[in-house]
Amino acid sequence: MTQPRDEWSQLDRIEEQFVKRLAAHYAPKPLTPARRVALDDAIWSRLQRQPRLMRLTPALAPVAVAMLITCLSWSGLFRLPAHQGDPSVNITAMSSTEPWEYELLYSRELTDTAEPDDGLILPDDYLVIDRVFLDK
Amino acid sequence: MMEEALVQEPPTVALELEQRFHLFVASHRERARRLAWRLVGGDDAAAEDVIQEAFIKAYRALGQFREEASLATWFYRIVVHQAHNYCRWRTVRETWSALWHGGLPPAAVQESGDPLLRRRITKALAQLSRSQKEAFVLVHMEGFSVREAAALMGKPEGTVKSHLHRALQALRSELADLAEDTGGNAS
Repeated sequence: MTQPRDEWSQLDRIEEQFVKRLAAHYAPKPLTPARRVALDDAIWSRLQRQPRLMRLTPALAPVAVAMLITCLSWSGLFRLPAHQGDPSVNITAMSSTEPWEYELLYSRELTDTAEPDDGLILPDDYLVIDRVFLDK
Repeated sequence: MMEEALVQEPPTVALELEQRFHLFVASHRERARRLAWRLVGGDDAAAEDVIQEAFIKAYRALGQFREEASLATWFYRIVVHQAHNYCRWRTVRETWSALWHGGLPPAAVQESGDPLLRRRITKALAQLSRSQKEAFVLVHMEGFSVREAAALMGKPEGTVKSHLHRALQALRSELADLAEDTGGNAS
């Protein structure tokens, strides 16, 4: 990084003086020896601090992942998979329930009557199956 | 990183690396600080933060660069980039601070020389586009060649020349009194 003033030839005398004046007025004070030492120390201390963080990264990573999952679970964005055998309700399936299916499933709960005859509710196709397998 | 280098490299290599880094810091400290100071708008603390970050990155990359010149080019490119990042975040902070608290306290600026003139120059430079300011500071204030400035800014030489021309016109228009005063007494 040398300083060939290849651009200065393109500036006229007034422009050159203007630029020189700007550069002279727009510059920081040189570093004092004490400030220079402080700056160097700051650089070295930052260089030494970084590896400690890097060494802690493997230990901190699982903790961070666990915290992330906890936060997402609380916020409802992430759900842990249910254990096998746990009862689960398929909301999608319920939403497409036909009127006769709904009647079959919930009529007892709603009316609290004893053993109604399902044959009155089931479609013909299902009645055939019902007769074969239940020996009616 | 320094400790890692000491562990992984043979002692002589690590020592050589440290000596190289010390020399590199000593050779480029003042110029990097002055460049960063000019790019961040005359803020001492911000300029030092910028060059600390750039030197740390330079240390990590020291082994990859055998030639001092290519490392220096790469290092100054980082300084320019870090200074730009700093200015961008300062703009965001100032916007939010103005919305919620009525503005940030002014940055610590050295009050030597002519503070009023320096503030005017800071304001005039702040009105330039990012590329115009970088080109002007690199070439006209820091003495980099157009080719070097183009490498540092990651732009073609022709584009840098165009930015230089526009920046000079804008500054001469904004600081007309300074441009006309050829007697050498600017303040």
